[in-house]
Amino acid sequence: MTQVLRRFDLAVIIPSIALVSAGILMLSTTGDPGQTGLDHKAVQQGVFVAIGFAVALVMAFLDYRLLNAVALPAFILGTILVAAVVVFGDASLGAQRWFVVGPIVIQPSEIMKLAVIIFLARFLARRGERVRSIRTLLLSLLIVLAPAALVFIEPDLGSALVFVAIWLAMVFVAGARWWHALIPAGIALAAFPFGWFFAQDYMRERFVAFLDPGSDPLGAGYNVLQARISIGSGGWWGQGIGQGTQSQLEFLRVRDTDFIFAVLGEQLGFVGALGVILFFAILLIQAVVISIRARDDFGRYLAIGIAGMLFFQSFVNIGMNVGLMPVTGITLPLLSFGRNSLVVTLAAIGILLSINAHRTSAPHRQQGVWWVSSVRRLTAGPGASPRP
Amino acid sequence: MAANSGPSDQSAAGAPGTKSDGGASANRKLRRGLILGGAVVAANAALAGRLWQLQVVETETYQEQAARNRLRTEPVRPVRGLVFDRNREPLVRNVPVFGVWVTPADVPKSREGSIIASLAALTGEQPDDVRLKLSQARYDPGRPVQVAADVQRDSALAIEERRHDLPGVQVRSGIRRHYLHGDVFGHMLGFVGPVPAESLEEYQALGVGFDETVGLAGLERQFQGALRGADGSRRVQIDALGRELNEIESEAPVEGRHLVLTVSVREQRAIREILARHLALRDSGAGVAVVIRPEDGSIVALASLPDYDNNAFGVGGDPSVLTRLVTDPRRPLINHAVAGLYPPGSSYKVIAASAALETGIVLPQTKIRCDGQLVLPTGWAFNDWLATGHGMVDLHRGISESCNIYFYNISGGNPYTNLTGFGNRRLVEFERGFGFGEVSGIDLPGEAAGLVPTAEWKQGNLGQPWVTGDTYHAAIGQGLVQVTPLQIAMMYAALGNGGRLLRPRLVDRIVDSQGNVLQRFPISERGQLPVSDEHLRLIRNALLEAVNGRNGTGKWARSEFAVVAGKTGTAEYSGTRDSQGKLPSHAWFAGYAPAGNPEYAFAVLVRDGGEGAFAAAPIARDIIDYLMTGEMPPLPQDRPDFIPPTRRLA
Repeated sequence: MTQVLRRFDLAVIIPSIALVSAGILMLSTTGDPGQTGLDHKAVQQGVFVAIGFAVALVMAFLDYRLLNAVALPAFILGTILVAAVVVFGDASLGAQRWFVVGPIVIQPSEIMKLAVIIFLARFLARRGERVRSIRTLLLSLLIVLAPAALVFIEPDLGSALVFVAIWLAMVFVAGARWWHALIPAGIALAAFPFGWFFAQDYMRERFVAFLDPGSDPLGAGYNVLQARISIGSGGWWGQGIGQGTQSQLEFLRVRDTDFIFAVLGEQLGFVGALGVILFFAILLIQAVVISIRARDDFGRYLAIGIAGMLFFQSFVNIGMNVGLMPVTGITLPLLSFGRNSLVVTLAAIGILLSINAHRTSAPHRQQGVWWVSSVRRLTAGPGASPRP
Repeated sequence: MAANSGPSDQSAAGAPGTKSDGGASANRKLRRGLILGGAVVAANAALAGRLWQLQVVETETYQEQAARNRLRTEPVRPVRGLVFDRNREPLVRNVPVFGVWVTPADVPKSREGSIIASLAALTGEQPDDVRLKLSQARYDPGRPVQVAADVQRDSALAIEERRHDLPGVQVRSGIRRHYLHGDVFGHMLGFVGPVPAESLEEYQALGVGFDETVGLAGLERQFQGALRGADGSRRVQIDALGRELNEIESEAPVEGRHLVLTVSVREQRAIREILARHLALRDSGAGVAVVIRPEDGSIVALASLPDYDNNAFGVGGDPSVLTRLVTDPRRPLINHAVAGLYPPGSSYKVIAASAALETGIVLPQTKIRCDGQLVLPTGWAFNDWLATGHGMVDLHRGISESCNIYFYNISGGNPYTNLTGFGNRRLVEFERGFGFGEVSGIDLPGEAAGLVPTAEWKQGNLGQPWVTGDTYHAAIGQGLVQVTPLQIAMMYAALGNGGRLLRPRLVDRIVDSQGNVLQRFPISERGQLPVSDEHLRLIRNALLEAVNGRNGTGKWARSEFAVVAGKTGTAEYSGTRDSQGKLPSHAWFAGYAPAGNPEYAFAVLVRDGGEGAFAAAPIARDIIDYLMTGEMPPLPQDRPDFIPPTRRLA
């Protein structure tokens, strides 16, 4: 208990709080004037931030190793839910992405991300060095492809890609051979024409629009262009909170979710947008550090899976906001409006804190600053490992 | 070799070896973790670089684009100006009506067809017209377009109730022109209507929107620019769909200017009524009365019958009325006072008389013999209206008794005497000098110039040479001569005012909504009649005698209330001859009163009215009676001197 408090990682907590606060602040400027109380998205987001932090605290105080026990049931349950949403889900915007149970909206793909990370971490930790065999690698790929394929059918290309990104980060750190990475890459390349054929129209449009947003300024490329105008017009200091015309007058669409970064860029300018990027960088680097310092492989892979998930989502989302990435419908973790994703992301951050808290007094720590020792270890060669 | 390698193999595979392998594995994990960390740093640096580019380097470009996104300048339409009579009594009113407007951006593409269909059904517009207007507005879909200018209250309410089924549709208040006196001022005021498709670009160049109504006839058309006023403008902030959010700045429109006319409601109404009463007795039922003030050229009345109620052209007008107006062979849509062309008959003789006096062909007292007929050596016979002949005729009698033979002699000459006429060339000069062959310049659209025939014109247009008979005809206002009633009235106004040929004035001034005079239309002299004062006096005496003399042809124009001077005209035109073998004729009477110091000059025309003396002169008399007394004269058939329409002179 005290150890958890002592090892409360401020490099994780401060960026998280800063980012969710920025999200709520932006949502407070994008709501309809008629929305009050719980109808207002900023208030709703606040409620889910509170729930998310509560979940995160529970996760932080629990020993992450307990997750081993729930890994398989969570994975199976998650897969069933994702499959169910494809069959029975509430069709909205042409996609079936969630269930509505009374006042609660459940989006299985969000929960599934964490379930996949936990299950894959357990699988890779138990397989140990066998990850270097092609058989284990393909098995691990199967674990990911099952939910990814279901989510793709929903259709939700963005979330499907998140699963692939999580897998890549985890098997990479687990030690998969470099050239094995060519196998899925080859499959992906070979599958591209088929994917193009089976892809939903919106996916193709978005892809073309990404390549040339000016080709159809009022169609698919519209929001890409509007997002760029929003961010660009922010300038150094931004238009001020609640001031930007692009977001306030709704030139920019999906301001609450996919394009909340553009809202922020317009209102808070280069300084604010750079702040968001810096906080993400701190959070992600710290997640990698926690992974490196984890007491066991399970913790290491968990942390790297979470880092991979956050990294991929934040980079792709901000990338599409600034026009470096195609529009994939991936939300910005911690900032975008989203009930499930917010709670799941904060839970993942809680798990990070738990991994950090439950590390053994790391050997490299005794030798001073951890990264100095890490560099020394890497440069000294295999024989130089310190003995306990 | 195997032995040497054994221990090392063992140490690698043994328990410590696990450590060693674990170390390699751990190092790999550490290395790959750090690579991932490096990727995070690189990716975020790339994003930061892109932000720098967008928000610092190129920010001005994007700020401009954002500004263009959210501001729009749109015109504010002025309220159309009114028209007042001389006594500032309004002739037209702007009536508030319900207009239906559509903002194309708010109409969902998928429901466009059904919304257009419902709108067409509710407003009575053609679906294709609605579709056309929406497509014309496509370049600026956020700006509302008027698809119906004036819908019934019930339709407006129905549209309001169905707001949710009709996204993008709005009911706005607008105005409709209501002409307070209908057909009394129908021709003069004209009417407004949608911009004609063929002149759309012309109007747009003037800043008129394609969904506006514009003046299409009469003063509404002539003074379209002044009546319309000038657009104001508003800069409005708009949202992404182009819907207006709030106004940033605005400039008020210049409201339409008002016209103050020279006519009065009372006089125009009465004179039109007098004309109508007389025409009711005629088969054609068509005629014109023009009354002018000789001293300044102001129009007192301008009536052309049959006419039309210009309210019929507004929305809600009866389509059958319009069909009737268009198909009526008398062409009621044309203002015959200014655009109708007719041979003027004997009312034209004063020109030849002037020419004769000014060229010295004859002296006023020179007498010419009239036997009732002049037969040229070629065999062509030219008749006087009086078959027995007028005997020896001088200028005075020539005019007052309207002797044709006299005018044949002085114009074309007489091969049997030594008299050579002044000829057509001189006649043409005098006709032009009296204002013919060109528009008089009234402030109404469509004025006709008429025709002053020349040898060149006849050769060029008819392919025939000019002959003496043509000169004879021209001198008595027959044959090829074509004039408008207004031109005749202006000539008599000039004769009455001492020789000043004026431009007619219908609009006295243009005022703004506060009543400030913006523009006056002062007396404008087109020229001086080419007649000396002495000769003019002779002619005026003859015109006085024509009405008041014992044998004057115009005696049916005598008024109890003023001395009238004037001249009849009976202008034959090609058509079916009557039982007596006579060609049909238009009846004219033109003159002025009081003869000494004229207050009014006039021209009356009864189309296919027969004799000017019987058909037109009594109308002129009733008009003068009315103008002098201010009271309506008795019905023509109630007069003791009433002449039934069938009777003809000799």
